[in-house]
Amino acid sequence: MVKAYTQEYTYKHPWERVTSASWKKFADPENKRTLSHILEVDTLNHKLDPSTGKLYTTRAITVHSPGPWFVRKIVRQDVCHCVESTVVDAKTRSMQLTTNNISLEKFIEVEEKIRYDPHPENPDGWTICRQETSIRIKPLSALASMAEKVEQRCAERFVQNSAKGREVMERICKYLEAESKGLARS
Amino acid sequence: MGILTDSQNKRSPSSSSTSPCANLRAAYHNCFSRWYSEKFVKGQWDKEECVSEWQKYKACLSQHLEDKQLSRFLEAEGPVSSTIEVASSRTTKTDDAPTGSSQ
Repeated sequence: MVKAYTQEYTYKHPWERVTSASWKKFADPENKRTLSHILEVDTLNHKLDPSTGKLYTTRAITVHSPGPWFVRKIVRQDVCHCVESTVVDAKTRSMQLTTNNISLEKFIEVEEKIRYDPHPENPDGWTICRQETSIRIKPLSALASMAEKVEQRCAERFVQNSAKGREVMERICKYLEAESKGLARS
Repeated sequence: MGILTDSQNKRSPSSSSTSPCANLRAAYHNCFSRWYSEKFVKGQWDKEECVSEWQKYKACLSQHLEDKQLSRFLEAEGPVSSTIEVASSRTTKTDDAPTGSSQ
Protein backbone atom coordinates (compact mmCIF):
# COMPACT_ATOMS: atom_id res chain seq x y z
CA MET A 1 0.00 0.00 0.00
CA VAL A 2 1.51 3.30 -1.05
CA LYS A 3 0.27 6.76 -0.40
CA ALA A 4 1.71 9.25 -2.84
CA TYR A 5 1.05 12.86 -3.51
CA THR A 6 2.58 15.64 -5.52
CA GLN A 7 2.78 19.37 -5.06
CA GLU A 8 3.83 22.13 -7.38
CA TYR A 9 4.90 25.61 -6.46
CA THR A 10 6.27 28.60 -8.35
CA TYR A 11 8.89 30.84 -6.82
CA LYS A 12 9.04 34.24 -8.44
CA HIS A 13 12.79 34.21 -8.15
CA PRO A 14 15.44 32.94 -10.56
CA TRP A 15 16.68 29.36 -10.32
CA GLU A 16 20.13 30.40 -9.04
CA ARG A 17 18.60 32.22 -6.08
CA VAL A 18 16.07 29.53 -5.25
CA THR A 19 18.62 26.74 -5.23
CA SER A 20 20.97 28.88 -3.11
CA ALA A 21 18.08 29.29 -0.69
CA SER A 22 17.55 25.55 -0.67
CA TRP A 23 21.08 25.06 0.68
CA LYS A 24 20.50 27.67 3.38
CA LYS A 25 17.11 26.36 4.39
CA PHE A 26 18.27 24.37 7.42
CA ALA A 27 21.19 26.57 8.44
CA ASP A 28 19.70 29.72 9.92
CA PRO A 29 18.57 29.80 13.57
CA GLU A 30 15.54 31.84 12.53
CA ASN A 31 14.40 28.95 10.38
CA LYS A 32 15.13 26.42 13.07
CA ARG A 33 12.14 27.70 14.95
CA THR A 34 9.86 27.30 11.95
CA LEU A 35 11.34 23.98 10.94
CA SER A 36 11.49 22.66 14.47
CA HIS A 37 11.04 19.08 13.29
CA ILE A 38 14.53 19.21 11.75
CA LEU A 39 17.07 18.52 14.49
CA GLU A 40 20.31 18.18 12.65
CA VAL A 41 21.60 18.37 9.10
CA ASP A 42 25.09 17.16 8.28
CA THR A 43 26.87 16.90 4.97
CA LEU A 44 28.26 13.39 4.66
CA ASN A 45 29.99 13.69 1.35
CA HIS A 46 30.04 15.70 -1.81
CA LYS A 47 31.58 15.49 -5.23
CA LEU A 48 32.01 18.02 -7.96
CA ASP A 49 32.42 16.86 -11.54
CA PRO A 50 34.32 19.74 -13.13
CA SER A 51 33.87 18.40 -16.65
CA THR A 52 30.07 18.36 -16.56
CA GLY A 53 29.27 21.00 -13.93
CA LYS A 54 27.42 18.53 -11.76
CA LEU A 55 27.52 18.66 -8.00
CA TYR A 56 26.56 15.58 -5.96
CA THR A 57 25.88 15.91 -2.26
CA THR A 58 24.74 13.50 0.42
CA ARG A 59 23.40 14.83 3.68
CA ALA A 60 22.06 13.28 6.84
CA ILE A 61 18.86 14.81 8.12
CA THR A 62 17.67 14.01 11.61
CA VAL A 63 13.96 14.53 12.04
CA HIS A 64 12.15 14.77 15.34
CA SER A 65 8.96 12.86 16.09
CA PRO A 66 8.14 11.46 12.70
CA GLY A 67 4.50 10.69 12.24
CA PRO A 68 1.60 10.80 14.67
CA TRP A 69 1.86 9.95 18.37
CA PHE A 70 0.44 6.46 18.09
CA VAL A 71 3.18 5.58 15.63
CA ARG A 72 5.84 6.87 18.02
CA LYS A 73 4.32 4.74 20.71
CA ILE A 74 4.70 1.62 18.63
CA VAL A 75 8.11 2.25 17.16
CA ARG A 76 9.42 3.61 20.50
CA GLN A 77 11.72 6.07 18.86
CA ASP A 78 11.20 9.78 18.44
CA VAL A 79 14.12 10.55 16.16
CA CYS A 80 14.42 9.43 12.59
CA HIS A 81 17.48 9.59 10.36
CA CYS A 82 17.07 10.35 6.69
CA VAL A 83 19.54 10.53 3.86
CA GLU A 84 19.18 13.23 1.26
CA SER A 85 20.96 12.96 -2.09
CA THR A 86 21.18 16.04 -4.24
CA VAL A 87 22.31 16.47 -7.81
CA VAL A 88 22.72 19.99 -9.15
CA ASP A 89 23.38 20.39 -12.85
CA ALA A 90 24.67 23.90 -13.37
CA LYS A 91 24.68 23.52 -17.14
CA THR A 92 21.05 22.57 -17.60
CA ARG A 93 20.02 24.43 -14.42
CA SER A 94 18.31 21.67 -12.54
CA MET A 95 18.41 20.59 -8.93
CA GLN A 96 17.04 17.29 -7.72
CA LEU A 97 16.80 16.18 -4.13
CA THR A 98 15.78 12.71 -3.02
CA THR A 99 15.28 11.94 0.65
CA ASN A 100 14.71 8.51 2.17
CA ASN A 101 14.39 7.41 5.77
CA ILE A 102 17.06 5.00 6.94
CA SER A 103 15.76 4.47 10.44
CA LEU A 104 12.35 2.93 11.14
CA GLU A 105 12.76 1.30 7.77
CA LYS A 106 11.21 -1.88 9.07
CA PHE A 107 7.98 -0.04 9.63
CA ILE A 108 7.72 2.59 7.02
CA GLU A 109 9.38 3.85 3.85
CA VAL A 110 9.13 7.48 2.97
CA GLU A 111 10.62 8.95 -0.15
CA GLU A 112 10.49 12.61 -0.97
CA LYS A 113 11.66 13.96 -4.29
CA ILE A 114 12.01 17.64 -4.99
CA ARG A 115 13.02 19.23 -8.28
CA TYR A 116 13.82 22.85 -8.94
CA ASP A 117 13.76 23.87 -12.60
CA PRO A 118 13.53 27.21 -14.41
CA HIS A 119 9.86 27.99 -14.97
CA PRO A 120 8.94 27.38 -18.65
CA GLU A 121 7.01 30.66 -18.80
CA ASN A 122 9.81 32.75 -17.37
CA PRO A 123 13.01 30.69 -17.28
CA ASP A 124 15.27 33.53 -16.13
CA GLY A 125 12.94 35.00 -13.53
CA TRP A 126 10.93 32.17 -11.96
CA THR A 127 11.52 28.70 -10.66
CA ILE A 128 9.14 25.80 -10.56
CA CYS A 129 9.35 23.36 -7.68
CA ARG A 130 7.85 19.90 -8.02
CA GLN A 131 7.59 17.74 -4.97
CA GLU A 132 6.58 14.13 -4.87
CA THR A 133 6.24 12.16 -1.68
CA SER A 134 5.41 8.53 -1.24
CA ILE A 135 4.71 6.78 2.03
CA ARG A 136 4.62 3.06 2.35
CA ILE A 137 3.91 1.04 5.47
CA LYS A 138 5.80 -2.21 5.36
CA PRO A 139 3.49 -5.20 5.25
CA LEU A 140 3.73 -7.46 8.31
CA SER A 141 5.10 -4.66 10.47
CA ALA A 142 3.46 -3.65 13.72
CA LEU A 143 1.84 -0.81 11.84
CA ALA A 144 0.39 -2.88 9.01
CA SER A 145 -3.05 -3.31 10.54
CA MET A 146 -3.55 0.43 10.65
CA ALA A 147 -1.52 1.23 7.59
CA GLU A 148 -4.11 3.39 5.96
CA LYS A 149 -4.57 5.58 8.99
CA VAL A 150 -0.85 5.93 9.57
CA GLU A 151 -0.22 6.82 5.94
CA GLN A 152 -2.97 9.40 6.03
CA ARG A 153 -1.66 11.02 9.19
CA CYS A 154 1.91 11.01 7.94
CA ALA A 155 0.81 12.57 4.68
CA GLU A 156 -0.99 15.36 6.57
CA ARG A 157 2.14 16.05 8.52
CA PHE A 158 4.26 16.14 5.38
CA VAL A 159 1.91 18.65 3.81
CA GLN A 160 2.13 20.86 6.91
CA ASN A 161 5.89 20.64 6.95
CA SER A 162 6.33 21.36 3.28
CA ALA A 163 4.21 24.49 3.69
CA LYS A 164 6.61 25.57 6.42
CA GLY A 165 9.51 24.73 4.13
CA ARG A 166 8.13 26.99 1.40
CA GLU A 167 7.63 29.81 3.87
CA VAL A 168 11.28 29.55 4.85
CA MET A 169 12.39 29.36 1.21
CA GLU A 170 10.44 32.50 0.35
CA ARG A 171 11.99 34.32 3.27
CA ILE A 172 15.54 33.38 2.27
CA CYS A 173 14.88 34.27 -1.38
CA LYS A 174 13.72 37.75 -0.32
CA TYR A 175 16.80 38.14 1.80
CA LEU A 176 19.10 37.05 -1.05
CA GLU A 177 17.29 39.39 -3.42
CA ALA A 178 17.82 42.34 -1.10
CA GLU A 179 21.41 41.32 -0.62
CA SER A 180 22.10 41.16 -4.36
CA LYS A 181 20.49 44.57 -4.89
CA GLY A 182 22.62 45.97 -2.10
CA LEU A 183 25.72 44.60 -3.76
CA ALA A 184 24.65 45.90 -7.14
CA ARG A 185 24.22 49.41 -5.79
CA SER A 186 27.58 49.69 -4.09
CA MET B 1 18.16 37.87 12.71
CA GLY B 2 20.66 37.79 9.90
CA ILE B 3 20.34 34.79 7.74
CA LEU B 4 24.05 34.54 7.21
CA THR B 5 25.22 35.03 10.77
CA ASP B 6 26.53 32.11 12.70
CA SER B 7 24.17 30.37 15.01
CA GLN B 8 25.45 31.82 18.27
CA ASN B 9 22.01 32.45 19.64
CA LYS B 10 20.89 28.93 18.96
CA ARG B 11 18.31 27.96 21.51
CA SER B 12 16.84 24.65 22.54
CA PRO B 13 20.09 22.75 22.29
CA SER B 14 18.59 19.43 21.32
CA SER B 15 22.05 17.99 21.59
CA SER B 16 22.73 15.18 19.21
CA SER B 17 25.83 13.19 18.49
CA THR B 18 27.13 15.68 15.95
CA SER B 19 26.54 18.81 18.08
CA PRO B 20 30.26 19.10 18.93
CA CYS B 21 30.83 19.74 15.21
CA ALA B 22 28.39 22.66 15.04
CA ASN B 23 31.04 25.35 14.64
CA LEU B 24 32.99 23.44 12.02
CA ARG B 25 29.74 22.69 10.25
CA ALA B 26 28.78 26.37 10.21
CA ALA B 27 32.21 27.33 8.88
CA TYR B 28 31.98 24.78 6.10
CA HIS B 29 28.39 25.63 5.31
CA ASN B 30 29.01 29.36 5.06
CA CYS B 31 31.94 28.75 2.75
CA PHE B 32 29.99 26.27 0.61
CA SER B 33 26.98 28.59 0.37
CA ARG B 34 29.12 31.44 -0.82
CA TRP B 35 30.92 29.26 -3.37
CA TYR B 36 27.61 27.87 -4.62
CA SER B 37 25.86 31.18 -5.20
CA GLU B 38 28.85 33.27 -6.26
CA LYS B 39 30.70 30.77 -8.40
CA PHE B 40 29.06 27.43 -9.10
CA VAL B 41 25.75 28.70 -10.47
CA LYS B 42 27.60 31.35 -12.45
CA GLY B 43 29.51 28.81 -14.47
CA GLN B 44 32.71 28.60 -12.41
CA TRP B 45 32.50 24.94 -11.54
CA ASP B 46 36.02 23.93 -12.53
CA LYS B 47 37.41 24.05 -9.02
CA GLU B 48 36.15 22.85 -5.70
CA GLU B 49 36.62 25.23 -2.78
CA CYS B 50 36.26 25.11 0.99
CA VAL B 51 38.49 22.05 1.07
CA SER B 52 40.14 22.72 4.44
CA GLU B 53 36.77 23.62 6.02
CA TRP B 54 35.41 20.33 4.73
CA GLN B 55 38.37 18.28 5.97
CA LYS B 56 38.01 19.64 9.50
CA TYR B 57 34.26 19.21 9.58
CA LYS B 58 34.47 15.72 8.17
CA ALA B 59 37.13 14.65 10.68
CA CYS B 60 34.83 15.83 13.45
CA LEU B 61 31.87 13.98 12.00
CA SER B 62 33.78 10.76 11.68
CA GLN B 63 34.49 11.01 15.39
CA HIS B 64 30.99 11.82 16.53
CA LEU B 65 28.59 10.28 14.10
CA GLU B 66 27.06 7.45 16.08
CA ASP B 67 24.66 6.02 13.57
CA LYS B 68 26.44 3.21 11.72
CA GLN B 69 24.34 3.58 8.61
CA LEU B 70 25.15 7.25 8.37
CA SER B 71 28.87 6.79 8.93
CA ARG B 72 28.93 4.42 5.98
CA PHE B 73 28.10 7.37 3.75
CA LEU B 74 30.86 9.39 5.32
CA GLU B 75 33.40 6.65 4.73
CA ALA B 76 32.18 6.11 1.20
CA GLU B 77 34.13 9.08 -0.07
CA GLY B 78 37.43 7.97 -1.51
CA PRO B 79 40.43 10.25 -1.89
CA VAL B 80 40.67 11.84 1.57
CA SER B 81 40.02 8.70 3.57
CA SER B 82 43.66 8.27 4.53
CA THR B 83 43.41 11.25 6.86
CA ILE B 84 40.42 9.81 8.66
CA GLU B 85 40.66 7.18 11.32
CA VAL B 86 38.10 4.66 10.22
CA ALA B 87 36.38 3.16 13.21
CA SER B 88 38.12 -0.14 13.83
CA SER B 89 34.99 -2.06 14.66
CA ARG B 90 33.57 -2.69 11.26
CA THR B 91 30.56 -4.56 12.48
CA THR B 92 28.57 -6.15 9.76
CA LYS B 93 25.08 -5.37 10.77
CA THR B 94 22.88 -8.37 11.23
CA ASP B 95 19.19 -8.17 10.86
CA ASP B 96 18.34 -7.72 14.50
CA ALA B 97 15.58 -5.33 15.35
CA PRO B 98 15.86 -3.89 18.84
CA THR B 99 12.71 -1.90 18.40
CA GLY B 100 10.76 -4.47 16.44
CA SER B 101 8.14 -5.54 18.88
CA SER B 102 6.14 -7.28 16.24
CA GLN B 103 8.08 -10.31 15.17
